[in-house]
Amino acid sequence: MSIEIKNISKGFGNFSALKDVSLNVPTGELVALLGPSGCGKTTLLRIIAGLETPDNGSIHFHGEDATDRAVRERQVGFVFQHYALFRHMTVFENVAFGLRVRPKHTRPSEAEIKRRVHELLNLVQLDWLADRYPPQLSGGQRQRIALARALAVEPKVLLLDEPFGALDAKVRKDLRRWLRRLHDELHITSVFVTHDQEEALEVADTIVVMNQGRIEQIGSPQQVYDHPATPFVYQFLGNVNAFEGHVDQGVAKIAGLQVPLNYQHEARSGSISAFVRPYDIQVRKAYDDNGALAAKLTYAHSIGPIVRLELKREDNHEFLDAELSKADFDNLNIKEGDSVYLKLKNVRVFFGNNFVI
Amino acid sequence: MSATNTHLSQYQKYNQRVSRNRATSEVAWVRYTLIAATLLFLSLFLFVPLATVFTEAFRKGAGTYFAALSDPDALSAIKLTLIAAVIAVPLNLVFGVAAAWAIAKFEFKGKSLLITLIDLPFAVSPVIAGLIYVLIFGMQGWFGEWLTDHDFKIIFAIPGIVLATIFVTFPFVARELIPLMQAQGKEEEEAALVLGASGWQMFWRVTLPNIKWGLLYGVILCNARAMGEFGAVSVVSGHIRGLTNTMPLHVEILYNEYNYAAAFAVASLLALLALLTLALKTYVEWQSAKDAIEIEQE
Amino acid sequence: MKRKASVLPGFKLSLGFAILYLSLVVLIPLSAAFLKTFTLTWAEFWQSVSAPRVVASYKLTFGASLIAAIINVVFGLLTAWVLTRYRFFGKKIIDAFVDFPFALPTAVAGISLSAIYSTNGWIGSLFEPVGIKVAYTPLGVVVALTFIGLPFVVRTVQPVLEDLSAEVEEAAASLGANRWQVFYKIIFPAIWPALITGFALAFARAIGEYGSVIFIAGNMPMVSEITPLIIITKLEQYDYAGATAVAVVMLVISFALLFLINALQWWSNRRLGHTAS
Repeated sequence: MSIEIKNISKGFGNFSALKDVSLNVPTGELVALLGPSGCGKTTLLRIIAGLETPDNGSIHFHGEDATDRAVRERQVGFVFQHYALFRHMTVFENVAFGLRVRPKHTRPSEAEIKRRVHELLNLVQLDWLADRYPPQLSGGQRQRIALARALAVEPKVLLLDEPFGALDAKVRKDLRRWLRRLHDELHITSVFVTHDQEEALEVADTIVVMNQGRIEQIGSPQQVYDHPATPFVYQFLGNVNAFEGHVDQGVAKIAGLQVPLNYQHEARSGSISAFVRPYDIQVRKAYDDNGALAAKLTYAHSIGPIVRLELKREDNHEFLDAELSKADFDNLNIKEGDSVYLKLKNVRVFFGNNFVI
Repeated sequence: MSATNTHLSQYQKYNQRVSRNRATSEVAWVRYTLIAATLLFLSLFLFVPLATVFTEAFRKGAGTYFAALSDPDALSAIKLTLIAAVIAVPLNLVFGVAAAWAIAKFEFKGKSLLITLIDLPFAVSPVIAGLIYVLIFGMQGWFGEWLTDHDFKIIFAIPGIVLATIFVTFPFVARELIPLMQAQGKEEEEAALVLGASGWQMFWRVTLPNIKWGLLYGVILCNARAMGEFGAVSVVSGHIRGLTNTMPLHVEILYNEYNYAAAFAVASLLALLALLTLALKTYVEWQSAKDAIEIEQE
Repeated sequence: MKRKASVLPGFKLSLGFAILYLSLVVLIPLSAAFLKTFTLTWAEFWQSVSAPRVVASYKLTFGASLIAAIINVVFGLLTAWVLTRYRFFGKKIIDAFVDFPFALPTAVAGISLSAIYSTNGWIGSLFEPVGIKVAYTPLGVVVALTFIGLPFVVRTVQPVLEDLSAEVEEAAASLGANRWQVFYKIIFPAIWPALITGFALAFARAIGEYGSVIFIAGNMPMVSEITPLIIITKLEQYDYAGATAVAVVMLVISFALLFLINALQWWSNRRLGHTAS
């Protein structure tokens, strides 16, 4: 089932959580709502579920207006951030809950409920925990039970609020691969909320980057990472070095360097914000006539095949991050305290000084 | 005073650690002096009064004791006490659940004022609690004339006793449930709704099981006070033997007639009720702490 | 278009019922007390609440309540300390018994205490030879009020003591503090808001107490007559307005105390950085 969100706004008191947000989620997709805390992503998810009502705008499920449909009639599966398992019920009863509360004429028989619950517990590979109580489970197990419970009502849409937020790093990684596979199997239209860019990039078909109640960019993981639409997206996805500069007739002047632009800015002039990823900073030992940025290596540490450098600019003493391979670093033969010269590749320029982070 | 002693396991761990650790405990003689002083104080103020009730009750033998309890006036006092509790406790229970639901699960203006107002009856002297009903329903009260005309008695009759009992036991259930339900949040209720439960299904299957220990705790305290209330009931009762006397009032009458053995015999029933209350309360605390520990073992 | 603020059902029903019930049972009857005093002129009101016998009762009620609350602060802190820190035989039973004064009907407490502290009672007979009379004197009032206020300080201080992290004390000890220094520099600052709250609760309860006191007080006008008894006496003489005037004085003081207690709890919760538990 597809979801269309049209011009949704929502405020809490004086705080405006969502400002005129529109979004289409095609049938069968796995979409990530990505953004920092307070950006409105959870509010948007809860509006889709019917747990909050929007101040303005409408929600359509498969073309039908569902804005005023009560939460229990929406047929959505919702996985809460802290799972919200019913602590006084066994795992089995938790999963069976959605079936047991149906009106008599649509309620499955006891045998059918039993069959369905065990089928779902097998799907999440936790059938052996059926008689336990939620407090006796690990975080990862609770997460999967919460998912099984949501799936029991055969939802047309699956909504997950920070599904991996409360788990430790190792479990998190396993579970997100597992969720991806599960989605490929079931093909339920799914939306999940996360503040972790790595999670969104790895799991989602489409990423919706949100900030301060607005959508900054919608695109595939590749698109949002390689072609960020706004400075915010650039800074939010991955580490980045930010510069202030100026563009004059298509040539950017950043930190005293002339940087040719790959983009179509030629006709414009004005002040800019420029961004460079750490691995797009080239480190040289010798000055180069074409211009280079003088800096001092303040700290270097290696993690496996990658070496991370902390550099201090000579001109304004600001710090920059650079990343290079262990082999390149060894070839350079530099140590902390040495002077180096930097060249910038793949500089992304945005007009105006709208630093967001 | 709360049933939800979620810190219990933490406290036990802490306790073990502190008592084993020389750096954070006192030398033995200080410890024993403090324990002895505490036991002496509590004995003087708790155990001696309790023991006295029973020794005085049986001073003239078991025959006098049971005669005092089977006296028709005593029986009618017991009956009236039960009637007052049976009406007051369920009403305050329904109020407590409704108030806690609104306060814990919703945001609205004036919430902290409402919480303070719920506590008001605890701040009011029981005597004043009785007085205000006399001012409204008494002969010279607001509705006094109307009530006399319609031959309906509230003051110096059972309805007044019930009203006064409701007043003094008003906050017990609510003040137990409000913090408990606030701490539980509303995610489980939302989950139930998303899964298709109706409002009542949500309440009976999710909310109520989650608050059962807190609810029981509030009811136990509410009931103890309802059966034991003296001051407020004394003002509105009129002390008519066999008609408007509750057990505590009956104790007073017997005592003022210098019939000490009988007074203490009836008092011993109330002391047993207090012991039962303590036992139930401890059991509930123990149960809810057990649940809390299970939740902590993540 | 106006939409519901929350998806959870029953807000209007539960709040509506709660407010209606609160108004019928508590607010309207209480306002009757205030409205009744308006039937008096200011002079009449003042005469009622400042008659020598009434003033003597204020002195007794507030004085005895204050002394009882102070006794409870000392022994309540001691009890809470012993119950959280030490292990000894029967600790759990004693812990449960701290609430006994909440559970025991006040009339029973009253007759029992007067039996114990009368001149031929278990304890009263010990004081007799020294010339101290407890029952039927203001001292008896203090005894009864200490009994009924006993649980308050223990139950407010106990959870705070339990929550104190052992690490903080260990840190202080490792920095060279002795036990007494740890207590007054580390532990006491953490528990004193709870101590004051417990004191205020015990004091507030003692002021209004009636049942346990009248049996042991002797109820001699000007000497051992508490204010709630004055109200009852006036009522029995059909002096409704006079009774209400004295009641209003007590109500105002009680409400001020309630407000103070709430402010204290709000403040100490904020200070300790957690919400009410």
